[in-house]
Amino acid sequence: MKTLLIANRGEIAVRIIRTCKKLGLKTVAVYAENDENSLHTRLADISVCIGPRQAEKSYLNIESILAAAKVYNVDLIHPGVGFLSESAAFRHACEEEGISFIGPCAESMELLGDKQKARETMIANGFPVVPGSSGAVDSVRDAVAVAKEIGFPLMLKASKGGGGKGIRIIHDAKELEKEFPLVRREAEMAFGDKSIYIEAYLENTRHIEVQILADEHGNTLHLGTRECTLQRKNQKLLEEAPATNVDAAVLEDMQNKAVKIAQCVGYKNAGTVEFLLTQTGKFYFMEMNTRIQVEHPITENIYGIDLIKAQIHVALSHKLNARQEQLAPKGHAIECRINAEDVMASFRPSPGIIDCMTIPGGNGVRVDTGYAAHDEISPYYDSMVMKVVCMGDDRDEAIRMSIGALEELKIDGISHNADFAKHMLQDGDFVSGNVHTKWIEQVFLDRYLRGQS
Amino acid sequence: MKLFSEKIDNKVDVKKPESAPVTLKCGGCGKRMIADIVHAGDSVCPYCGHLFRQPAYKRIEAIVDSGTFIEIEAEAVSKDPIEFPGYKTKIASEQSKSKLSEGVIIGKATIKGVRTALAVMDSYFMMGSMGTVVGEKIVIITEFATLNRLPLVIFCASGGARMQEGIHSLLQMSRTTIALARHSAEKLLHINVLTHPTTGGVTASFAMQGDITIGEPKALIGFAGPRVIQQTTSEKLPEGFQMAESLLENGLIDKIVERKDMRNTLADLLALHSKADAPQVKKSVIKGVVDDVFKRNKED
Repeated sequence: MKTLLIANRGEIAVRIIRTCKKLGLKTVAVYAENDENSLHTRLADISVCIGPRQAEKSYLNIESILAAAKVYNVDLIHPGVGFLSESAAFRHACEEEGISFIGPCAESMELLGDKQKARETMIANGFPVVPGSSGAVDSVRDAVAVAKEIGFPLMLKASKGGGGKGIRIIHDAKELEKEFPLVRREAEMAFGDKSIYIEAYLENTRHIEVQILADEHGNTLHLGTRECTLQRKNQKLLEEAPATNVDAAVLEDMQNKAVKIAQCVGYKNAGTVEFLLTQTGKFYFMEMNTRIQVEHPITENIYGIDLIKAQIHVALSHKLNARQEQLAPKGHAIECRINAEDVMASFRPSPGIIDCMTIPGGNGVRVDTGYAAHDEISPYYDSMVMKVVCMGDDRDEAIRMSIGALEELKIDGISHNADFAKHMLQDGDFVSGNVHTKWIEQVFLDRYLRGQS
Repeated sequence: MKLFSEKIDNKVDVKKPESAPVTLKCGGCGKRMIADIVHAGDSVCPYCGHLFRQPAYKRIEAIVDSGTFIEIEAEAVSKDPIEFPGYKTKIASEQSKSKLSEGVIIGKATIKGVRTALAVMDSYFMMGSMGTVVGEKIVIITEFATLNRLPLVIFCASGGARMQEGIHSLLQMSRTTIALARHSAEKLLHINVLTHPTTGGVTASFAMQGDITIGEPKALIGFAGPRVIQQTTSEKLPEGFQMAESLLENGLIDKIVERKDMRNTLADLLALHSKADAPQVKKSVIKGVVDDVFKRNKED
């Protein structure tokens, strides 16, 4: 029997353990001291403490995690989301110990983890990227030259940044001259690499991504699109699958390009190609995430598959046996992320103990969480409490189901954003698909706060 | 939708019985931890900073330039010179438990590019006690260093002379002392790092002979242990008695170095004392029982 170690915590660790239980695999959970009684350590067959609460001493501690893996003869390691999931160094270390890391090969991780290298590769292979510099920009003079070509506003982006970090928006030439050296210095301090590149800052864009699944035998499939446009400060809040209100031909083109992109970098296992979609229907490659995504359940829902199970199959060198044309999505799914945060106090994190909790349910309603009543939402890790995922026959149904589920949801002891999410689902702009990535910050937040006063 | 036709193997393996992992209790905060996880890092308690005794090979890995350590005399094993009851079985069980052949590992390596001879004692093998093999290996590495004009770094960790070898163990005190005196006479650098615990016959011989003596934080360093002294003198011992910190205050050691800084500190000291044009040693200064060993271990 294979033993699988989950190098993560919270909701995603629970999610992975559940699939392992379904498959009859033995699970080893690792935990930081303060997570001793958390749900993922309770559910796993074996739980090992790997260090104190600070992530760098526990969930980011490669040596400790691998020592635990060796003690329990682990065959596979699933890195989950965040923490070490995109660490090529961790993947290398697993390989050295003869343990399968569930994810793409180290070369793909390294290439796609470097946003600028990934961009250069896309340009070299003729894939559309946001207009901007073709490589790193080292001097103000070069930056000004690029700006002349693409115009303002533009973005200075750290090559090693990602996840919405290391980005500065520049509105004119004067600001560019002033900010350019500062951004370089910041990039060096935050990511250990001062190289930055330039991209045009496109307004009123949407964020649409394509789920990829590839095996080691040259088969690459896509599992449709997800719309993740609803974000606050680059953090996704609500996602749906498939993307709506987009021309079918554009989506088709996007999916095909995503498959070609994955093939061109030799990608294996589950990954996500993120695109930026403009109002005119043009789309550009943003980045490819080399791991499972938080919002993977909505894809699972409409395709009727288990992506974690598929990841384990790929890691065991199994061959994808399905053809693209056999895969047909059904219905519409929406995921709402419920975070422990106080919406009325500028979304300040609201850690604490969950006194009691009523979790919605019913046909088509799925709740993924790493917490139960009386558990503590720790201030040391991310503030997501749960994901409420609803699937209906069509989008209208999914919206109504989500609203109903959020009304059923009760969490006492902490502040959370369920009411905020419910109002988003009821907003006319959202229902008609008239949103963009800054819509929450620029339009909806005001609307919501006014309604509350 | 079924994406894969192959099955994921989930048959219960009856051949692989589960054994509970070895745990260690932290001497600082009392927490129990899995030994392998503790030693995967630098064997420092992540909760309270207490230093666990660090296995010799882990120490070497943390100190030397990766891949440069060449061990010598790895196969030397203790005989039973005074036919001490149960000693042979004890040795065998210590060997299987610690996966070491004896209580010290010797060899050569570079530390940030500086070539050095190295001896690292391991307290997980019979508390690092010094019998004939430990003594002989210290002598061999010292003479090796002398012959090849290398500095010598010794990490001490020992409960003292090994009682199961009686007078043969005590004899090692003078043998190691003489070997180190020859090394010193050649004006070569000898650095001792005293780790927890360094006591008994080892303290009374080579552990106190270094040109530079470094202590690990809170290491117990002494001859007779605190309990013995308390019982003999019937006096209350002062706080921090025989701790590295109080030894530093009293001038018996030169510096206390945290484990994470050990490699850098040693590298600095070695670099400061290395001379590219050091004269070659005259072979005639070294005589006696170790001549054969030189031939075996002479550098090319």
